[in-house]
Amino acid sequence: MTDPLKLVAALVLVILGTRFSAWGEETPRGGSKVFPYPVQVTVLENGLKVVAVPFDNPGLVAYWTVVRAGSRNEIEPGKSGFAHFFEHMMFRGTDAYPRERYNAILKELGADHNAFTTDDYTAYHVLAPASGLETIMTLESDRFMNLKYTVEDFKKEAGAVLGEYNKNASSPFQTLNEKIRDAAFTAHTYKHTTIGFLRDVKDMPNQYEYSLQFFDRYYRPENCALLVVGDVDPKRLVDLARKFYGGWKRGTYQVEIPAEPRQTEEKRVEVDWPNPTQPYLDMGYHGPAFSDTQVDLPALDLVSQLLFSEAAPLYQKLVVVEQEVDLLIGGAADHRDPYLFEIIARVKKPERVAYVEATITAALEDLKTKPIPADRLGKVKSHLKYSYAMGLDTAGSVARSLAHYIALTSDPEAVNRVYAIYDRITPEDVRNAARRYFARTGRTVVILSHKEGAPAGAQGGAGAMAAAAGVTAR
Amino acid sequence: MKPTSNQGAEAPIRMSLLPSPSSPLVAFRIQFRCGAINDPPGKEGLNALTAMTIAQGGTRELTYQEVTERLYPMAATIDAQADKELTTFIGNVHRDHLKAYYDLLTGILLQPRFDESDFKRSRDILLAAIETNLRGNDDEGLGKAALQWLMYDGHPYQKLDIGTVQGLKSITLDDMKAHYRRCAAQGNAVLGVAGGFPMGMVDSLRQDFAALPRGGTPEVKLEKPRALSGVEVMFVEKPAPATAISIGFPIGVTRADKDFYALMVANSYLGEHRTFNGRLMNKMRGERGLNYGDYSYIENFIQDGGSTFPVPNIARRQQYFGIWIRPVPHPNALFALRQAVRELKMLVDGGLSVQDFEATRKFLLNYSRLWTQGLSRRLGTKMDSEFYGTKFFIDRIQEELPRLKLEDVNAAVKRHLQAVNLAVAIVTENASAMKETLLSGKPTPITYQTPTTSEALLKEDREIESFPLPINRERVRVVKAQELFEK
Repeated sequence: MTDPLKLVAALVLVILGTRFSAWGEETPRGGSKVFPYPVQVTVLENGLKVVAVPFDNPGLVAYWTVVRAGSRNEIEPGKSGFAHFFEHMMFRGTDAYPRERYNAILKELGADHNAFTTDDYTAYHVLAPASGLETIMTLESDRFMNLKYTVEDFKKEAGAVLGEYNKNASSPFQTLNEKIRDAAFTAHTYKHTTIGFLRDVKDMPNQYEYSLQFFDRYYRPENCALLVVGDVDPKRLVDLARKFYGGWKRGTYQVEIPAEPRQTEEKRVEVDWPNPTQPYLDMGYHGPAFSDTQVDLPALDLVSQLLFSEAAPLYQKLVVVEQEVDLLIGGAADHRDPYLFEIIARVKKPERVAYVEATITAALEDLKTKPIPADRLGKVKSHLKYSYAMGLDTAGSVARSLAHYIALTSDPEAVNRVYAIYDRITPEDVRNAARRYFARTGRTVVILSHKEGAPAGAQGGAGAMAAAAGVTAR
Repeated sequence: MKPTSNQGAEAPIRMSLLPSPSSPLVAFRIQFRCGAINDPPGKEGLNALTAMTIAQGGTRELTYQEVTERLYPMAATIDAQADKELTTFIGNVHRDHLKAYYDLLTGILLQPRFDESDFKRSRDILLAAIETNLRGNDDEGLGKAALQWLMYDGHPYQKLDIGTVQGLKSITLDDMKAHYRRCAAQGNAVLGVAGGFPMGMVDSLRQDFAALPRGGTPEVKLEKPRALSGVEVMFVEKPAPATAISIGFPIGVTRADKDFYALMVANSYLGEHRTFNGRLMNKMRGERGLNYGDYSYIENFIQDGGSTFPVPNIARRQQYFGIWIRPVPHPNALFALRQAVRELKMLVDGGLSVQDFEATRKFLLNYSRLWTQGLSRRLGTKMDSEFYGTKFFIDRIQEELPRLKLEDVNAAVKRHLQAVNLAVAIVTENASAMKETLLSGKPTPITYQTPTTSEALLKEDREIESFPLPINRERVRVVKAQELFEK
């Protein structure tokens, strides 16, 4: 009997020969900059940065406020998680627009609005009809200048934050992230996750006074940026910004984040997980801060692709051919201060954890001696460029991308500078970065696994995903 | 209007096109009207495993490794989304690479390689998704899956989309090839493309997919789901930091029906997903700080990535009403359950006020326009509208909502919603004790992290803590998470 599959294949092959006569080769388009839309930046007299990005999204605007304060700014002991908690409090209203009124007005606009906090910044975002721009600016400027809440509201919101902690706590990623930061950092505030230590989250109801101080320190125009993407006239936006935010007073506070001393010996941590699971291997190497002028972090971004993308030989070996692991990710997330190049693998068999660790370590060692072929580097650069371009398909996604770079450097142009560095990176740059950052003495290894009879409730923590994506208001 | 069915042997292959000539991107959604409900008994998970092995596999000429190597410089993607009734292969590519990508996509879908190695890797992933992720590490996901298990007992929708542990273990490579031959047929297919594609490509697509067998898979008959009898509760016991609760019952409306749009207004008022518009969110989180969020739904809902919008292409011929209570500290779990059911009952009994009706309708008319941001989402929503045999979903909302009167909404609520016959899944530790407390009928007061001083709140708390739940004692049970979804 004829195999229908073979028949299908044969038919397809016949068609394959002719089908591209009418369409096919396109000439790659695009300019020299990776960010393809015009960006207009204006700094108001009080230091507030106003960024307008006209984008073909008729009738809609993405309205973002970026506050350059995140869990990195939680310098006092016992205050971890406060930037995120404060993000929640920003929805509790003002005298002019109490919470219910604020929500009702945005509801009338049909707006999608929320916020999230990361290690380095907090972002408040609204997606709404462009016709509502002035209304949005009325509400947003009011709460950034005149936020007001009662002690009781403050305490209630702490319950919601604990709820957010709880919703994440059944996932091992949260615990992994909590443990690796706590072990890898001794002085810098990256020691704690964005949602904070559980003990501090539980103590939040007692921190009302500190919350006022936090607002006073960081919610100041020189520390913030407005970013509007979509159906927006840049000149009108600046005029409205002057009208609504012109009275916002500059602050004086300068935060001093403790510098992290150099790690001089390997650290290892074992975590017992209460539910049955394959073991997780989490390795963190101290890396550089984000920079749009230095090659180090961009070179490590290429390493992330060279080893941990689906096309990478190491990934193919461990995930596809040997099938030792079913999850393998690695990279250095952009941070204002030096953070970690973190690698996470979920190993199928507990007895193979050592093998997987050795294989990953050997691949990192290879980078120090064996030059990467130029054509592989070329493919990585192409991937990064197209990946970025394909992510810019809505006003919201464009705003999200620029908010990230504004938070890191205060300058949206940073995105173009970083991608220009990617283009220039040589095999030698990759080798140098590997030699500089992948030292065994500078790494922390966390292994999370289930041991029969482990006590319930041993888990806890917010984490890896939260660090990458931020934690949100709802 | 009723959902459209699979096509007969003579019908041309269905296309769903959304050209946007200025876009540099092209989005594909190649869909087959075949899903988990087509899994043969004992082979649960076959559809999902087949879809995954295809999407993360090779072509006749190229191994998975070689396909990956070629897709990589384009940053192009091919993913499979296998649901109850639909399986959708979702592709995204920049126009610069369209021709090369098209070859890979059609190669994968029309000449799948079905390598033993790809099969084994995909099966391990799905088994781990049940045995490790769902049973152990995702209490909210577990609660939702347990709700379907309880609510759809004996119905084709009961099982997970990714099957059961024993089902997955029994599947062979030959089973997958046979399933592919059954489902990858012209009558099942809908070829969706959006973005900056040349029309010549559409001709190629039509010609290439004409190589699939004509006709379609006979539609799986869906009986009416069993009637729930009182409040039926399944406690799922596992070590858990907090208690996750999902509530639901089948309803007889879908996007095809007029009443769906009336219910949409009522539901948004009760619990619009991840907004502060809903009663549940305001009363449970806003006023009491019980948890992170509380929402309600009138159809199967999955959030699309980091957005707050619904993922497309999970359409079903039958739908259900659901409430999602995000994890609550254990001592407050039964208070939260009572409060949510009480809010539902208040909606059913009292309906919306004219002000709430007007404000919610206005909100939805604007908000729903945001649901189709992005090429692929818009295309997926269009295809779902075609599944339901209705006009473009957002246009239908714009048409139906302005016509609604308050009486229509409140009457639709009475016709379709109720707070008596409910399926409830509760993921918690020490489930037996919570079960006893629930069955005792005793009040379950809230424990505040910091006591409230509001007299109005305290008065309402007293009503909630002793709100009578019509529990069906015969249908309250405790299961171990480790035993769920086994077969």
